[in-house]
Amino acid sequence: MTVTEAGDTTAVPPSPIRSDERITHRSPMQRWLISPEIGALIGAVIVWAFFWGNGQTFGEADTTLNWLDVAAPTGIMATAIALLMIGGEFDLSSGVMTGATAIQIGLFSKHFMGDGVNIGWAILAAFLAAAAVGWFNGFMVNKTGLPSFIITLASFFTLRGVMLVMSKRLDGKVQVADILDARGAAGFKNWIAHEWKFTEFSGRDPLFLGLVIVGVAIFTYGLLEHSFNRRDGLDTSGMALGAIGIAALVAALVGLMRTDGVGVNVVFTLVGVVGVVLTCAGVARARWQPRQRPAAGELPRAAQVRLGLGVAGVAAACLIPIPFDRGQRLPILTWTSSGIRPIIAILAAAGGIALAVRSSLPALRSRTGVGSRVRTAFFAAYTGLLVATAVVSVFQLTTVQALRAIGMILLGSGGVAMLLLARAAAGVTSKRWQLIIGVIAAASVAVMALVIRIDSGAVRFRTGMVGAMLLGAAVLLANAVLEFTMQKRTIADPAADRLGRRLQLVGGVMALAGLVIRLLFSNLSAENAAAVKAAGGAVGQNVLRQTVIWWLLVAAIGAFVLTKTKWGNWIFAVGGNQDAARAIGVPVEQVKIALFVVVSLCGALSGTLIALRYGTVQANQGTGLEFEYIIAAVVGGCLLTGGYGSVIGATLGAAIMAMSVIGVQTVTGWNSDGRFAFLGGVLLLAVLVNNFTRKKAQEAR
Amino acid sequence: MSEHPLLELKHISKYFGNVTALEDISTKVEAGKVTCVLGDNGAGKSTFIKILSGVHQPSAGDYLMNGSPVAFHSPRDARTSGIATVFQDLAMAPLMSVWRNFFLGVEPYRFGIAMRTAFMKQTAKEEMAKMGIDLRDVDQPVGTLSGGERQSVAIARAVYFGAKVLILDEPTSALGVKQSGVVLKYTRAAADRGLGVIFITHNPHHAYPVGDRFLLLNRGHSLGDFAKDEISREELTRLMAGGAELEQLQHELSSTR
Repeated sequence: MTVTEAGDTTAVPPSPIRSDERITHRSPMQRWLISPEIGALIGAVIVWAFFWGNGQTFGEADTTLNWLDVAAPTGIMATAIALLMIGGEFDLSSGVMTGATAIQIGLFSKHFMGDGVNIGWAILAAFLAAAAVGWFNGFMVNKTGLPSFIITLASFFTLRGVMLVMSKRLDGKVQVADILDARGAAGFKNWIAHEWKFTEFSGRDPLFLGLVIVGVAIFTYGLLEHSFNRRDGLDTSGMALGAIGIAALVAALVGLMRTDGVGVNVVFTLVGVVGVVLTCAGVARARWQPRQRPAAGELPRAAQVRLGLGVAGVAAACLIPIPFDRGQRLPILTWTSSGIRPIIAILAAAGGIALAVRSSLPALRSRTGVGSRVRTAFFAAYTGLLVATAVVSVFQLTTVQALRAIGMILLGSGGVAMLLLARAAAGVTSKRWQLIIGVIAAASVAVMALVIRIDSGAVRFRTGMVGAMLLGAAVLLANAVLEFTMQKRTIADPAADRLGRRLQLVGGVMALAGLVIRLLFSNLSAENAAAVKAAGGAVGQNVLRQTVIWWLLVAAIGAFVLTKTKWGNWIFAVGGNQDAARAIGVPVEQVKIALFVVVSLCGALSGTLIALRYGTVQANQGTGLEFEYIIAAVVGGCLLTGGYGSVIGATLGAAIMAMSVIGVQTVTGWNSDGRFAFLGGVLLLAVLVNNFTRKKAQEAR
Repeated sequence: MSEHPLLELKHISKYFGNVTALEDISTKVEAGKVTCVLGDNGAGKSTFIKILSGVHQPSAGDYLMNGSPVAFHSPRDARTSGIATVFQDLAMAPLMSVWRNFFLGVEPYRFGIAMRTAFMKQTAKEEMAKMGIDLRDVDQPVGTLSGGERQSVAIARAVYFGAKVLILDEPTSALGVKQSGVVLKYTRAAADRGLGVIFITHNPHHAYPVGDRFLLLNRGHSLGDFAKDEISREELTRLMAGGAELEQLQHELSSTR
């Protein structure tokens, strides 16, 4: 235990409340970046962009509705499982619970009292039975103190056995069919498992773009309200400047949307740049206090290195399209001439051996016995073989086109990340260098957008991607300009903070609404419609199933309960420190039982929707799905040990999984089982990101 | 001030089956005074606190509050009567934010729908400031605070929720020298604000400066219940260290040399 803590030096007898100048230093962006759901959010965006960039159909409304439909049952359960995991427990019977409910509804409505009852009674009975199972799970966990793994594993096997036996005995098969023929089934389907079909919406794209751009602008302005000192009154010259800037921006946007030629695009991009700079400078001047002109400082060594690496990365990303053919869909290994293939393998093996030798250098130096040398040689050869095999397999699986895209993405994002790091390092000593590097970063993104604009063949892809990248460049540029010209706020200003928070919320909601409109409606030009049809997609068949609504409803309720009610507080406490929670008077046992019951009830909801959707249920329905729920929750930032996590994260986790399922099927053309490999990677990546952000959260004190 | 002490325990005993955890313990806690409970490991301190805070019920004896007998069936009961316990593990979830921990179990509501989060954050910050600790961000997890700061959160929480009696379970045992001093200062400050404080420790050097009354426990029995003027620091230390037992040990150690 360290003795010299900050608390001690300030810990003089009770002092009057004073505001601490350090409080505002943690910017809202930083706070947002250490929230538990950030890993899932980044993951969802990357996965979506990956499939969207690679396929003709993925961004379209029918595919979106398709993956939403797949995500919904998982998402309903992931919400409940996330709450349970935050409460420190697991439920392995949750997957089978969905199947058991569906089977029970089928059997009840067909065979109860000989010839069945109205399906409404069957559903009610299934919910009651589910609640009983959940209560039993919770009761046993409380009573025995055994890990919930064991208790729910028992429930899992019991339920599974009962399902099989009952469906065989009553229906004669290992499936229950014709559930929709039961009395009242049609009415219930219409009521709780409705399907809405809707058609095209021609105003989609302008509305989407407008909402997103205005939303992002409002959001950004909200962030700024957090960061700077307000000035007294408004400065009219600044306002005029800002107005000119906004006019230029609007002109640039309209121009970019209306025209489609490389030259014109460049011109309008430049107009847009001028617009961004003028808007920022004008608004800032009108509203906030400027800083004194900062003195020119040195560029530190670390920043120099990063700057060089960043520029090199961006340049490489821009140049990589040249040697590879865009339309080449052959695997890399097949594409390369036969003379080069052994060289690739040998190089990979050599790389592996070098890595292995390097890692065992200390051992070699300290103990120079023959035994350790032999061991190292074996280790090196083995690693070389492994790396060579891995590289060859990847090259066999990856197409030239994909390599090109991945190379561009990795080099480009890595380069920009390096530039941002360089900017942070430069900011310590020199505000001027910080500005310069910020502008370089913004310019890099804009240049890469133009490269994609020139290079890409798909109109749909490039408009979306280029638009997003230009928006990002604009934000980077605005940030660079504002950081240079304005004084960072160091005193608390609750009014400005409140306004900032509200604007962020409004902007975020607007941008989100724009995205939803973009994703849910189709707006196909004749050319695109033909392309979609040629790729095997369906046009004009947009079906929104009520399952999705249930999912969003459950997730919203779950998120509200977790963050805004005492039950959420208790769930965190029970998972974080059960004894403490009990000591302070939290009804630990009740909270746990409630959580298990909620999980089972969500399972029942999910099962009911399955029964009403398909009308036929396999007796092993739901088996193994519990791991998907847990993965969704973990991807969403829930700790396996409890006490930390988020419902919104779990919702995003479910979305990621569904996108992977649909994307792997429709886009990559792999067997749909390939999704497991994909999901494994996503899980690992998301957990790494979560781990990193949580460490940051602990550090940021 | 009423003629009755805030809390009074008369001949309290506690048995777990055949095991005698406490036998015939008596002491009292007065408003504005600190009663120290001293004892080595296994002396029965934990059982004693658990009886005071309502986790256990005494097997025999009287538990009086303001002169009238009370029986608490849960920590909640005790807390609503104004007896707040700051447990050794501080009863906090380390990954939960300061403000959530501060209001855990007594969350204020608006219209019975949602917690008043803004009010909760502000209050947590203000109450910590009153203890002299300026939190950078009430959203930070409690696990990121130092030991002394965490202790202060727990004490501030108890004081804010109108505790009349504050039970501190070994608040200094896990702390360094300097932080222990800080906690002792808060303990005294809490008593000066009119609370009755029960301070449990095995360290007589921490107990003597803050205490007004000392209850010594050994293997479930009372070694005595002294007011400050009835006992010297040396005497307290000697009793605490096991007195005769320690001399015996010293003798054994020297004879084995």
